[in-house]
Amino acid sequence: MNFLKDRKTLAIAAVLAACALPLVITDEYALRVLNVFFIYSVVALSINLIVGFCGQLDMGRAAFMGLGAYWSAILAVRLHFPFFVAFLTAGIFAGLVGAILGFLCRKSSFDYLTLITIGFNVVCQVVFLNWIPVTNGAMGIPKVPTPSLFGFAFDTNLRFYYLALGFLVVCYVLIERITKSKLGRAFEAIRDDSIAASYSGINIQNFKVLNFAIGSVFTGLAGALLVHYTQYASPFNYTLDESVYQLQMAILGGLGSLPGSLLGTLILVVAPEVSRSFYEYRLVFVGFMMVIMMIYWPNGLLGKAGVGERLIGIMRFRKKEPEEAGRWTK
Amino acid sequence: MESGTNMFFQHLINGLSIGSIYALIAMGYNMVYGILELLNFAHGDVYAVGCFAALGLLTMGVHPALAILAGIIVGFVINLFVEKLAYRPVRYSGRVTPTITAVGIAYIMRNAILKIWGPETFAFDIGVRGSNLQFGGIIIGTLQIYILLIAVTCMVGITLYLKKTKTGQGIIAISQSIPTAALMGVPVNRTISIVYGIGGALGVIGGVLFCIYYDSIFIGIGFALGTIKAWMASIIGGVGSLKGAVMGAIMLGLMESMVSGYVSTLYKDAIVWLLLIAFVLIKPQGLFPAQVAEKI
Repeated sequence: MNFLKDRKTLAIAAVLAACALPLVITDEYALRVLNVFFIYSVVALSINLIVGFCGQLDMGRAAFMGLGAYWSAILAVRLHFPFFVAFLTAGIFAGLVGAILGFLCRKSSFDYLTLITIGFNVVCQVVFLNWIPVTNGAMGIPKVPTPSLFGFAFDTNLRFYYLALGFLVVCYVLIERITKSKLGRAFEAIRDDSIAASYSGINIQNFKVLNFAIGSVFTGLAGALLVHYTQYASPFNYTLDESVYQLQMAILGGLGSLPGSLLGTLILVVAPEVSRSFYEYRLVFVGFMMVIMMIYWPNGLLGKAGVGERLIGIMRFRKKEPEEAGRWTK
Repeated sequence: MESGTNMFFQHLINGLSIGSIYALIAMGYNMVYGILELLNFAHGDVYAVGCFAALGLLTMGVHPALAILAGIIVGFVINLFVEKLAYRPVRYSGRVTPTITAVGIAYIMRNAILKIWGPETFAFDIGVRGSNLQFGGIIIGTLQIYILLIAVTCMVGITLYLKKTKTGQGIIAISQSIPTAALMGVPVNRTISIVYGIGGALGVIGGVLFCIYYDSIFIGIGFALGTIKAWMASIIGGVGSLKGAVMGAIMLGLMESMVSGYVSTLYKDAIVWLLLIAFVLIKPQGLFPAQVAEKI
């Protein structure tokens, strides 16, 4: 089982397996769930980049999804831009808004960032609902065209599957590269000890803004892709509850662990589909999970010293000293 | 011109009375915040449980005063439990962790209310129908005066409690430094529990007044009208200071009533948020910051 330790081989194997998956799963409904899972994974990854790697508690991610979605939908429906342009500019737009918001929060502390992101989510929701000439109010924007690239339309669930998979792989690789780079180490330094980081020559404020902007680009892209998939932009999809649910995807998998975000998203996207009653109680479930996980496994399923590592530790029968309770932030 | 001035004073009165309700909610919130610097997301939803409990007793025909008293006790007790179960274990593990447990508690509470009472708006009638007093063209409900009186009484009571009693002094000591307070013999866990309890009780008082003022109760009094407003008020007034919370809340009430009176009702929330964000950028420490000795 040595090859399992090589992460690159493992990753390539996982992608190949995912490519072959539609051979096994032909059910349209299951494909649809998987597509949604791929897109939400990118959202969870972007949350992980902001909350897990930089330690900034952002509670308004759904607003950025909404911004990307509405931007793309309006460009494609009203102004007849091709999908490619609408989609990419949606990411840039969300990134710019994120940069501006981050820039405004530059001087303020942690609590204000959380508050401001919540406020931003509320403001966005109000604007989506009430700016009727542009967003069509509560009716939303219907008939958003399906994505198409170079004349090839991704109009079935199967075709879209590969687009969404490709999108996830690209975003995952990019985010992984970011976290492994100097930039990512700077983010982690800020998270772990911002005073020490500033003495190591890291400009905390600028890096926080950068982090926020990068995360927002990914969130915006995911929102745009999702709206082209569901073909309908509704203002009720971008609420604060939605933001919290997305935050829980990242927390469940493990803040600071990228594969963890995928696992967390998988669980929280599939579970409501499998069980209707889970869907009804999902917010209660999320509430309990947040409390219990933060007390017992603050690092989630796949994070450092998380549930996953403990299970592996048990399987190996190795008596390890329990690590310093892996709190990922001071 | 005459009616314009009248209009202005009417908005002023409305803003003051809604502001004094916010002040009660914000006081409880700010006490907790001042001590642990924990964003108590659950504050609103915990006191909402208290208010709904009062509603439940009211519909069962219990005397309003008893029902409200029971609601206040429910708020107090729930906050004690929540503190012990969800906040104490993560008290010393950074900022993000306790904030997330608080969000979790908020969701548990809110959904518990939704399961029991549902999302409808209920009438909240305690049988006190104040008459209206008229000064020139301005209408002041006696209810508004009562609310203002109750708010002021609570504020004075809490201030005296903090200044004059031993526990109160313990609370102030803990808010400055937990280790030092512990070394001086302040029972840290018990004192923090008491703060949470008082916070919940004050929240219920504010929440019940809110329901009486609007004659109705619905799920939104917890988060949207409670936690968020309390938070805004604390930020405007200055985090961790009671005076700041009260002044901030009254300013917030005035701001809201002026914005919806003169600018736009539809965008009221958005505009208030934008004003607040601007405020944070200009004066992040608030108008009346808590006086804490700087470490040198």
